[in-house]
Amino acid sequence: MSTVGDLYLESRLDFLRKTQNTDGGWGYFPAKQSWLEPTTYATLALHGTPGSDASFDRAWKLVRSWQTAEGSFRPSGQVQGGTWVTAHVVTLATVRGVYDDSVRRSVDWMLSVVGAEHTVLMRAASFLHLLKTKLDVSHEGWPWREGNAAWIEPTAHTLVALKKVAGSYKGGELEHRVRDGEALVLSRRCSDGGWNCGNPNVLNFDLPSYPETTGLALLGLQGRNASELAGPLDAARRFREETKSSLAKAWLTIALRCHRQNVRAPAGEGKVIGDIMLAALEALGHPDGNFPLFGTGGHA
Amino acid sequence: MTRRQFIPLVGVAATASYASIKLQKPPKLSDGPAGNSAVAIIRARSYSEDLVSRMLEGVRQTGLDARGKRVLLKPNLVEFDSSTVINTDASIIAAAVELFHRLGASDVRIGEGPGHRRDTLDLADDARYRATIPKFESIFTDLNRDDVSPIRGFADEPEFYFPNTVLGADLIVSLAKMKTHHWAGATLSMKNLFGLVPGAVYGWPKNKLHYIGIPRAVVELSRHFRNTFAIVDGVVGMEGNGPIQGTPKPAGVLVMGRDLVAVDSTCCRIMGIDPEKVEYLRMAADLGHVHPGRIEQRGETIASVRTNFALIEEFSGLRLV
Repeated sequence: MSTVGDLYLESRLDFLRKTQNTDGGWGYFPAKQSWLEPTTYATLALHGTPGSDASFDRAWKLVRSWQTAEGSFRPSGQVQGGTWVTAHVVTLATVRGVYDDSVRRSVDWMLSVVGAEHTVLMRAASFLHLLKTKLDVSHEGWPWREGNAAWIEPTAHTLVALKKVAGSYKGGELEHRVRDGEALVLSRRCSDGGWNCGNPNVLNFDLPSYPETTGLALLGLQGRNASELAGPLDAARRFREETKSSLAKAWLTIALRCHRQNVRAPAGEGKVIGDIMLAALEALGHPDGNFPLFGTGGHA
Repeated sequence: MTRRQFIPLVGVAATASYASIKLQKPPKLSDGPAGNSAVAIIRARSYSEDLVSRMLEGVRQTGLDARGKRVLLKPNLVEFDSSTVINTDASIIAAAVELFHRLGASDVRIGEGPGHRRDTLDLADDARYRATIPKFESIFTDLNRDDVSPIRGFADEPEFYFPNTVLGADLIVSLAKMKTHHWAGATLSMKNLFGLVPGAVYGWPKNKLHYIGIPRAVVELSRHFRNTFAIVDGVVGMEGNGPIQGTPKPAGVLVMGRDLVAVDSTCCRIMGIDPEKVEYLRMAADLGHVHPGRIEQRGETIASVRTNFALIEEFSGLRLV
């Protein structure tokens, strides 16, 4: 007999199985263009479940066709130019056990990209107090798109990918970028204990954190000292209880589980609302879900 | 492009826009396009009034024809904080849906791509959109995660992507909130078009627009999307440290018109802000009218509804004297 918890997980996995596009990917919503982000989450959520090998093969083939000449990945077949989603492909590659020239070029690309605020001019502007923000621009981090500033979410996903691939990649730059990326995340913590998109203060006004980016920041910070993360983990637990955002609850659940924190299992079956990314993340965060695939094995 | 190659390239742009350092003297204010623009100022002291009738009056005064058009309503949906006035009020959107059906639109959809929060549907739920607007889920599109297509000629980019829902609309109605803004001075119907840009391509926030330059990006959006109409929710606006952390400011008006530049200039004057000092309005003066002499004010007069919005220190120089 199925338990409520089983139904919660199975209803989401069934939804994902039924919504894979014929090209092998998933859209953000059923019957929509395939995008790399929901394809990654759906693939991870289904990994290891019955029939998932063929599903993963088709998704992997599609995703690989989106690699650019410079090693990055396009966010969808309709969009030119590589973006932050390159980190997702590296994470998928580690789950798939692939480390080939294509993956190495992706890692090289990720290591070549920095937040645009880390320039001599911006650092000079910061030194002269000409910025409207209080960002520590000494750290590099990762942007959503090359040539833009670094933000928490792309930095967190890139940290997860780099930590997961670290054992295969040869080169000292990776370790440096991971350390510096973590420093960037830590430097942008909001005064209320969590993280927002990556801008904790504007014009001397503190900005509030967001629960979803707090979860993502904690994913990126896996492996840091427990004492360093005690405050943020407290905030994450509090946000998870308070948030009205299903997406935020999903990311916080995944992050807390990856940090080996006790998280209550879903109390009911829960409604699957037709949002593929959300369904995948909710499945991943289930106690029997694949949240450990976001784990970085204690790498710090 | 390698790290070494791009750092020098982004340096100047980043310093000029992201840091809001003004490297260029503001351009001379254009005389604007030929003819005048009609802008309606409609009294609406509370959200419980008959807003559809108020809006119909504004449409009649500004001469909009929506018959047979596929209409996209673009609210300003920003944050999970239903106790404040950050978002366009749900009753304004519900009224606009009914308005455009009455005006004979062939299709009325609502679309929004919030700049920071990714959980758009729950955000809409928290803002009471789902509870207030009939069949909300079936007519709403999360523009951040919609299918996209490229266009050319936007801000000198070889290609720029927009949601197919936006590109397929015959008329985009900016249902903006009357608010001060800590980067742009004021956020009104033009700045509200930032939410047309898909986060799935450009991120949260849509940092690409910051690097284009906020004023320029505002103008480019208005330049590209010309089939627009504005209904600015000034029933209760936001003053001070807007667009998120400010305080409620009742202005008791809806401001409506086809010329978004003229609508926003009128809103500024109602808020006690000099539109000729707002950079994006100066830059947009070839698209629409900023000069009061070229704006035919319908309905209420500006003087009868003007209520100065508090400005943070950085924007105190914008005050209309």
